[in-house]
Amino acid sequence: MRIAGTSYNDSLVNQLNFLSSQQFQLQTQISTGQRIQKPEDDPAGLATALNLQTQAANAQQYAQNVATLQTTATSAGDALQQLKTISDRAGEIATSADGTASPTQLRAYADEVNQMIQHAVQVANSKDGEHYLFSGTKSDTAPFSSTVDANGNVTAVSYQGNTDVGQREIDENSTITVDVPGANTSGSGPRGLLADDRYGADFFNHLIQLQKDLASGDTAAVAQNDQPALTKDEDNLIYHISNNGIVQSRLDSAAIAAGNRQTSLQQALTKVAGVDVTQAITDLSQQKTTYQAALASSSVLLQLQESVMQYL
Amino acid sequence: MQAQQAAVTVTGQNLANANNPAYARQRVNFQTSDPVPLVGGIQGTGVQLASIQQIRDSLLDNQITDEASVGGFWTASQSSLQNAETELGQFLNQAAAGTDGTSSSSSGTGAQGMAAQIDGLFAAFQSVATDPTSLPARQALVSQAQSLAGSFNQVASRLSAVNGNLNSSIRTDVDSANKLLSDISNLNNEIARTEAATGSTANDLRDLRQQKLESLALLTNVQTSTAADGTLTLSIGGVAMVSGAKLNDTLQAYDPGSGQLLIRAATAGTALNVTGGSIGGAIDTRDGALAGLRTGLDSLASQLITQVNSAYSAGYDLKGNTGADFFTGTNAASIGVTSGLADDPAQVQAAGVVGAAGNGAVALSVARLAKQSNASLNNETFGDAYSQVVTDLGNALSNANDQVANHQAVTSMLAQQRDSVSGVSLEEEMTNLMTFQKAYQASAQIISTVNLMLQSLIAMKSG
Repeated sequence: MRIAGTSYNDSLVNQLNFLSSQQFQLQTQISTGQRIQKPEDDPAGLATALNLQTQAANAQQYAQNVATLQTTATSAGDALQQLKTISDRAGEIATSADGTASPTQLRAYADEVNQMIQHAVQVANSKDGEHYLFSGTKSDTAPFSSTVDANGNVTAVSYQGNTDVGQREIDENSTITVDVPGANTSGSGPRGLLADDRYGADFFNHLIQLQKDLASGDTAAVAQNDQPALTKDEDNLIYHISNNGIVQSRLDSAAIAAGNRQTSLQQALTKVAGVDVTQAITDLSQQKTTYQAALASSSVLLQLQESVMQYL
Repeated sequence: MQAQQAAVTVTGQNLANANNPAYARQRVNFQTSDPVPLVGGIQGTGVQLASIQQIRDSLLDNQITDEASVGGFWTASQSSLQNAETELGQFLNQAAAGTDGTSSSSSGTGAQGMAAQIDGLFAAFQSVATDPTSLPARQALVSQAQSLAGSFNQVASRLSAVNGNLNSSIRTDVDSANKLLSDISNLNNEIARTEAATGSTANDLRDLRQQKLESLALLTNVQTSTAADGTLTLSIGGVAMVSGAKLNDTLQAYDPGSGQLLIRAATAGTALNVTGGSIGGAIDTRDGALAGLRTGLDSLASQLITQVNSAYSAGYDLKGNTGADFFTGTNAASIGVTSGLADDPAQVQAAGVVGAAGNGAVALSVARLAKQSNASLNNETFGDAYSQVVTDLGNALSNANDQVANHQAVTSMLAQQRDSVSGVSLEEEMTNLMTFQKAYQASAQIISTVNLMLQSLIAMKSG
């Protein structure tokens, strides 16, 4: 083929441009660690990567949900333990208040029970952060409010919350509820914490009755009515404590699952979009050598061209 | 001697244009002069310059012209698609990772592109659903929604600007093309006159016309044919623009009513389907990939507004109000968040029943929209529909990149072939120069020899 003078230059410029753009691409990949930066690099790969990122975002959100719920469940567990302690003490008093106790003793018990009612109301009105633990979903309102008579005795405790519980998502289509309504006397729905007709639980009213019976010295009523009633309350509390344990354990598992999923998604993402740095560096050094060779060979040829003039 | 002198001049012309890519080398053709009959036989009278011939391969020229149209098309397409890709702003950035090692898509800061912001919107609804009484969670939701709406607005506006730029470039290219058409018809005129008058080919004018033709081919696809008188007939889209020395018609960019410019013949008024060159590339990209991108984003925004509002408006806020919308607007350019939510996040309607502040059922149902397929979005989720929009753009641009690379390879091959035929080789010209110089010297030697002989003859008489 006949070679014109401009052929050398054009060919050299094209080759150097090509090699430069290869080098630039490799250098970008090495410095970002990514094979894909823009949609044009690998459209299908980018779509896969975006999908993986969405899944990773979901996993992280579930992990955050779980963390929020764990705080609530732990606070609720603490409150439940305190209520159990009160319930245990009430049971002890009911047992001790038999025919052998003196009237003074019984009045002392009555006062103690009155104090315990107020303490129980306080515990039942515990908050986690901004919201009340035992109001159902009416968590901006304190669940229990007590009425006190002129003598300082609690005469009634009423429930201000609702019986609705919040469904919280901790995994794909998997929800959990951490809320416990303080009382549920409707006969259906979630089990009330301190009052539920279906299980004979009515803690505050039973305590108030106990206080009245102790104050009036009616030990027969204490033995026949109050003690069995308080046993039902205790059973109810035990159920809720156990349930709280189950909820916490489910939350722990969900946290671990979310963490594992995030790790495996990150690995998948690296596989799709990451660059093999060793390979890229090897390719880059090869390109560099080719580039230098192109420059060297072209400079030799340009010198040859000059020499035509010298000969003639 | 004169013949050799002319040959040296042509060699000088070749050398001067050695670096002119549009120049085709010229060659002298010698011819023996008419012989005269003499006593004793027919005697030659020397040499004359028969013609100065241009070494050009017209087939290669046509191929290069066609390839220029292809190149113009794909280069224009590539650059406008790259613009669109940049304005869309969806890149992959794994360097901005969260503390738990996940990529940046889920963290509030450093989120890249709308894919992460769409994920973030539904994640924020999840946070509110998990802790509905938390005001910070509500604030984060409103903020995330405002970021997403802002991104939609910005991208829509930027892509609209890209569209406007394409229309401007079409106008500019039409003006340039018309100027070239006028130049070519003028050159036709001069070539016809020169060749009729002198009877030889007007090499340099033809080179210039070919150069103009190739510049025109970069702008639009052309069909050409050469007439017997040396003029070039040029048609675009079937309408003859230049025939003979006459400029029949020019190009005109017009608005058929949609705001998107099309091309028609200015005088004849027929619509022209331009399928090559940068004009063709701009129209094809504007009405193809770019239109698809803008429509896709509008559909996505519109569905997002409709679906979210539909679920959200049934919810109750912390004050017991209901019925308000979350998003305002109808498409990507107009999507916004209901004003008032930013200042008073208690107005976010998260609850499913009234008077239950801890109920997050509506927030949860909105969050679950993320996984729902939408019939109006090809049965894809919001995230997947967006991903599809990005992939379509990526494919179009990747294809344009490949086409441009192919075109560059073909062009450089054709250019090499043309150089091989028409390019000036310094070695060849220098060698020719030597040859013509020697021939000139030889002819001059004849004259001085004849001169000496004549002097001897005259000396004979005077002696």
